[in-house]
Amino acid sequence: MMNFTTITRWEFKNTLKSRKFLLIFFLQISVLFLMIVVFNSFAANLESEKGLSITPSLTGFATLDVEDQGGLFSKRLNPEVLTIQNSTYNQGMARLANGNIGGFFAVPSNSVALIQNNDRVATILYLDYRDPKRSVIRQEVNNTNQILSSTLTSAYLDSLKSQNNTNQPGITEKTSGESLPLQIVRKVMLAVLLFLPLFLFGNLVIDSIVGEKERKTGEILMAMPLSSTDIILGKSVAVVLTMALQVAMWMIILLGAGFQLKNAAIVYMTVVLTALPIVGLTTIIAAYAKNYKEAGIGLSFAYIFIVGLLIVPLLAYLSRQSAAANISPMTLTMRLFSGETIAPVDILLSFAFILILSLLSYGISIKLFSRDDVVFGPRPGIIRLALELLGIKKRRVLK
Amino acid sequence: MSSRDVMIEIKGLSKWFGKIQALDNLNLDIKKGELLGIIGPNGAGKTTAIRITCCILKPDHGDIIVDGYSIHQDPLKIKSIIGYLPEEPNLYERFKARDLLRYFAELYGVPKADINPRIDELLELVGMTHRAEDRINTFSKGLRQRIGIARALVHDPNVIIFDEPTMGLDPATSQNIRNFIRQLKGDKTMILCTHYMDEADQLCDRVALLDQGRIRDMGTPDYLKSKIHGDIILQIRVQDPRQSDQEAINALSSVESLEVVGGKYQISLKSRDEISYVIDILGSRVISVNTKEPTLDDVFIRTVEE
Repeated sequence: MMNFTTITRWEFKNTLKSRKFLLIFFLQISVLFLMIVVFNSFAANLESEKGLSITPSLTGFATLDVEDQGGLFSKRLNPEVLTIQNSTYNQGMARLANGNIGGFFAVPSNSVALIQNNDRVATILYLDYRDPKRSVIRQEVNNTNQILSSTLTSAYLDSLKSQNNTNQPGITEKTSGESLPLQIVRKVMLAVLLFLPLFLFGNLVIDSIVGEKERKTGEILMAMPLSSTDIILGKSVAVVLTMALQVAMWMIILLGAGFQLKNAAIVYMTVVLTALPIVGLTTIIAAYAKNYKEAGIGLSFAYIFIVGLLIVPLLAYLSRQSAAANISPMTLTMRLFSGETIAPVDILLSFAFILILSLLSYGISIKLFSRDDVVFGPRPGIIRLALELLGIKKRRVLK
Repeated sequence: MSSRDVMIEIKGLSKWFGKIQALDNLNLDIKKGELLGIIGPNGAGKTTAIRITCCILKPDHGDIIVDGYSIHQDPLKIKSIIGYLPEEPNLYERFKARDLLRYFAELYGVPKADINPRIDELLELVGMTHRAEDRINTFSKGLRQRIGIARALVHDPNVIIFDEPTMGLDPATSQNIRNFIRQLKGDKTMILCTHYMDEADQLCDRVALLDQGRIRDMGTPDYLKSKIHGDIILQIRVQDPRQSDQEAINALSSVESLEVVGGKYQISLKSRDEISYVIDILGSRVISVNTKEPTLDDVFIRTVEE
């Protein structure tokens, strides 16, 4: 016990003294600032009436002069695509000839009167065939003609119906709560921001354990009066402490930036406790890996798995309010900082998940680190090792 | 040897690495206060034996009892009474020398009040007081080895194990390290693994010759040397070596062996009295005569060849 805390104290102290670590620590905080800015503008855009468009803008794509004194056509042309300018016939044709515009659309000045008399309206579209955008202009003008035509037909048919049948019961729509996209942005992104530091320090665990193998200092450490449990726990707790420090910093910054974080203390505790199994799983990889390269590959796969384990239940909770989704500490954290009332069983589910995963991961990594074939070689394959750990196969001893 | 005199007792130790057997039923007793040398070719199992003694590796068979504790039952107790210096000191590069010694002192459970005086004493012993506040990554290999020795001694262990402590060091630094070991002789039980036979010859009370995971021979350096050769080796360069010379020399009673090495006769004699007879046989064809005392190198080469 004494030795475990000694390792933790020295590892933590050395981490904080390391210039490389401090640089990473502050770089991460600057990334957080950047994410807050992006996050805020993203949320503001979603909340605005315009909503958020993810289609590329075509504004000003093509230019069209229009002579339409009645304004019937020009009002219905799509301004998202065409830059429209009212013009006379002479001006329009001159600008078209000079290549200043892609097209000129001439509508008779008595168009409104013609429609009222149920007469045909003859319009003319002049196009500059040198301009490759002419097909877009033609398409937009045709669309406008069709829209106008169907609008007029509908109006005519409505006028033929009996007055008594036209009134439909009015439906007034009032909204409450946030839309799913807004929830995803507000809650999921905030939860992701809170959990992000837990994934940024995997390299510390790798350096702490794989580094001992690569630098060959592990041999000395294993000659100390320390058990494998002392070594694994001592090093892991030091990393969890580092994460706890970073999470605290991030939470202070998020609160300072105006984010609503209710139950901040319990949220902090949940995030830090979640660091335990994440570090535990990283430790399994570090205990087995022969070198940094192997550990890096393993870490990528493990983190994809862990992120899935945290985020998928959270999304399931948002879409279906599934009770089982509380298994993810990220769901619990989101509900906590949103100020929801949480049933004790939901909290228990989440903490049981953390506890079981922690016990499993540390148990496996301690078992691995106790085996001299894993640490010094020749290292057994993953499948054989798994079977041996499960007790399905016996450890091979040649005689 | 009574069991009370024995500090380390290796009993039927075997260890496999995959399909390779590193140790094959190794048995060995080391007395309290003794300095035992282990010599042997590469891959003989020296480092494996040492690592098992330090409880870094686990044996497939057998046991080691250190000061009454078994490696199977009390590995932590054994680790706390052993100071181990591996071939490469493998120190934490970012640490300052003093911090490194403090870290290991704390891990060994040295009482807080004793740590600073102990570190000062050790830094002085290895001549590193002036570099106490420097980082390890600024040290040469020799300086690292000195700090490595201080680290191995920081908890004042009863047993010290050195694995190739002078490997790759310049002669002056090697001599320094040998002097440290000499200073510790008598008080501590020590194991010294080495490739340098003269080092084992100079320092060790007994030497065990390990090959293919087994003890091939063991005894004092003098005993081992005398077992392989007679009292003296004659090296005689002659003009026109003849078969009849070899027959005549072999007929002498004190001749143990005769070899022709690089145009020279190498003759092992039990008695110096017959040197003159050998010279008489070769007569005026003798160009030069050298006498050579047998060394552990000869023991090593002969045993490994056998």
